[in-house]
Amino acid sequence: MNDTLEIKREAQLRETARRLLEDGTVGYIIGWGTTRFEDKTAPLFAAKPEEADRLVWNEYCINSLAKYSLDDKYPEKKIGICVRGCDSRAVNRLVNDKQIERENLFLIGMPCSGKENSVCEGCSHKNPVVYDILIGEPVEENTEEKASAERFREIEEFEKMSPDERYEFWAKQYDKCIRCYACRNICPACSCKECYADQYMVGWQGKQNNRAESQVYGLTRAYHVGDRCIECGECERVCPMGLPIMRQTKKMLKDINDLFGNYECGVESERAPVLGEYDLTDRDEFM
Amino acid sequence: MHSINHECTCSSNPLIPHVCQVTAIKQETPDVQTYRIQTLDGQKPFSPMPGQLAMISLPDVGEAMFSITAQGEDYIESAIKNAGQLTQAFHEMTPGQQIGVRGPYGNHFPVDDLKGKDLLFIGGGIGLAPVRSLIRYCFANREDFGHIDILYGARSPEDLVFKEDLSLNWPKEKDTTLHVTVDRGNETWEGNVGFVPAYLEELAFSPVGRKVILCGPPIMIKFASQSLMKMGFAKEDVITTLEMRMKCGIGKCGRCNIGSKYVCLDGPVFTLAELDELPDEN
Amino acid sequence: MQLDKSDLQEALRILSAEAGVFVPSVVEGVSRFALWDGESSIDLSRVNTELPPKDILFPQTEKMYSYKMGKNIEIKEIIDNPKQVVFGIRPCDVKSIGCMDKVFLEKTYVDSFYAGKRENLTVISVGCTQTDRTCFCDSMGLSPSDAPGADVMMNDTGDTFVVEAYTDKGKQVMEAWKPLLKKGGKKPAAPECTLKVKMSPEISVKLSKMFEHPIWEEVSRPCIGCATCTYVCPTCYCFDMNSDNHSSEGTKFRCWDSCMFSDYSRMAGGHNPRPGKKERVRNRYMHKLSYFNERYETSLCAGCGRCADKCPAHMDITAFIDRVAEEEMENA
Repeated sequence: MNDTLEIKREAQLRETARRLLEDGTVGYIIGWGTTRFEDKTAPLFAAKPEEADRLVWNEYCINSLAKYSLDDKYPEKKIGICVRGCDSRAVNRLVNDKQIERENLFLIGMPCSGKENSVCEGCSHKNPVVYDILIGEPVEENTEEKASAERFREIEEFEKMSPDERYEFWAKQYDKCIRCYACRNICPACSCKECYADQYMVGWQGKQNNRAESQVYGLTRAYHVGDRCIECGECERVCPMGLPIMRQTKKMLKDINDLFGNYECGVESERAPVLGEYDLTDRDEFM
Repeated sequence: MHSINHECTCSSNPLIPHVCQVTAIKQETPDVQTYRIQTLDGQKPFSPMPGQLAMISLPDVGEAMFSITAQGEDYIESAIKNAGQLTQAFHEMTPGQQIGVRGPYGNHFPVDDLKGKDLLFIGGGIGLAPVRSLIRYCFANREDFGHIDILYGARSPEDLVFKEDLSLNWPKEKDTTLHVTVDRGNETWEGNVGFVPAYLEELAFSPVGRKVILCGPPIMIKFASQSLMKMGFAKEDVITTLEMRMKCGIGKCGRCNIGSKYVCLDGPVFTLAELDELPDEN
Repeated sequence: MQLDKSDLQEALRILSAEAGVFVPSVVEGVSRFALWDGESSIDLSRVNTELPPKDILFPQTEKMYSYKMGKNIEIKEIIDNPKQVVFGIRPCDVKSIGCMDKVFLEKTYVDSFYAGKRENLTVISVGCTQTDRTCFCDSMGLSPSDAPGADVMMNDTGDTFVVEAYTDKGKQVMEAWKPLLKKGGKKPAAPECTLKVKMSPEISVKLSKMFEHPIWEEVSRPCIGCATCTYVCPTCYCFDMNSDNHSSEGTKFRCWDSCMFSDYSRMAGGHNPRPGKKERVRNRYMHKLSYFNERYETSLCAGCGRCADKCPAHMDITAFIDRVAEEEMENA
């Protein structure tokens, strides 16, 4: 990470944010602000021009921001959101899922050379794929070789395990799950107004915490996200029990890539998720 | 706050229900039924004070808190509106059905404070149910109380609960006046048409020597309270009963709090003056 | 009295002959209190475990009774109150048990499930020799090296633990350890939390007047509505009751629930007195720092710092308390 470049980018972000708030382009801006711990930032909602200087841009700007737009579906003015590559794909995801209107958002593009977050290692979109204004110059993307080698590296290792070993692995993981639903709530693909797990009914998702119920939750979540996963890794980051949740959707994405060709979700705003569109050339030997 | 009745005929564990049976079911409105509940040997499960609550369950479906609408020598009754999965299951019961019951829970109407006063009962929809236990108490101890007015409103004539009480039983009680209104009438309805708060203002009750017992949907409570204030009633003299989602019923599980008070334990009966002291969150 | 560290395993072995002994350990990568099997390592290297010890007394899922439906309903209470010892619990977590005692054992009703487990639990606290950056127990009126609510208090002096019994249950432990205990031992000085928070009784009173304050809108915005803060909290005790139904029979259980969940206070007709994150975050902070004080005369936060450490949105109760301390009252 080129420090001077990023310090400059932070100054440019603040300047742009101040201008956008001053001229009324946006009602408020969602970015990152400091906490009392140097290595943690928290989502910041800046509504006044003087609050623009509280925005920070550093290697600890980790939290995904796009989903906060769901808290304000009918804003009076546009919502400004700082978007890195992953956040911009989240925006595409939410727009594509008809959760938000693109014209209600003003996207402040933040080219990102990676954060203190292991998921950034093989990032394939360091620069936002959609934005209204770009802060500073784009950063150099990972080579396709590096990104694709990194993308499914863990899955390839995982696939070497026998089904029994894999079952054992996940059983142990779900013994740890406390069902806080942080993975669901942080996920830009989890936008159901009422999650099946919260249904006011006995029998859909048992509330008792045990291996079986937690596995049902894990499976349902993974399949529901499935091809709509934008690979931001937030589910795994927020898991307080350290479950490697990304492996589930990554496995599905790997299979999807094997079956339907190169696919990344949220990169194009118009494209429906791959399992949501039908093409005559799709493989159908299972039918 | 009023004293709490600790009586519980269940196991010594307050969270374990006592198996009772439904011995009679009465259809009050298209979506309200009254259940007569007795112990398996035909006794009264417990003797609640007016306004107290009971946790009623079908263990395989769920459990919820209901007000006890009446009691007799050997039974208690609860009128329940079909509003969800559990109450739907209640509405499919036939007499003889066994159910789980625990209670009584919560405080009760301050009957001693009401003695010697004229009383105005205001109920909306199913909100007459919790008040009915007190109305019956007053009639059973008629000499203790002054004039009784009962103002009751429902959406339509079909939605009026306790029709027998309204048309036959209560009008016969001495020194008692009934005022029934509906939001929308029908071709046979000859009574008043209009919302409860408007009818209340029209009837222009004097606050002197009178206490009010108010229960109904939150929106009705809000506007009826405003009307009562306009008419000069003091907040100390208006008593209401609240509804919140409850699970344990004994002040442990956390969800029915308003500020530091638990509706299941410190409530459900509060005066408007007491509610003023609490955060506006119900 | 003092106990050589080299005798710790033996000391625990003595206790485990009579009771299940929970010790801080790492299970599948998660630091928590787990049943000691006589050999597994005891991890006192961390200040606090990631998961609090509350599930020993208040399991995340606790069976209450079994039932059989049919013409006659059968209900059978499930009682499971084994003799247990928790070893290595820090003073903040001991204070948390004190909070749960108040909830489950006081105010009209005694919760039988909790009472049974509590009765059979012996609490052996080990004081902290260092503090984490999110620790703020001394701002909450606690000491990192002393747990008045413990049965036995132990403090690390390097090669030994200084051991003191605080209760009759504690004396029984000391009696059982007699062959291992040596005279003497000086209690080390308590470490100090580096994080100082401006908590005071005035904050509780001030908060009680801040229900309508604009601060809630602002502090709640990053919240994602998950249960992380409440489930890693050693004092959060709210629960749900539900059934595990199989055809015509099943089990009624209670389980941890979270006031952060949107369906927590939603009623059957759909009305929700706490419909949004503002109301829910307000309820949690108020409960911790004001409502509980009003009802039980102590705060429901022990300063363990787990919520500040684990919150996905990096919300921080310590920053919140300091914000309230600085808030001018005319805004309240």
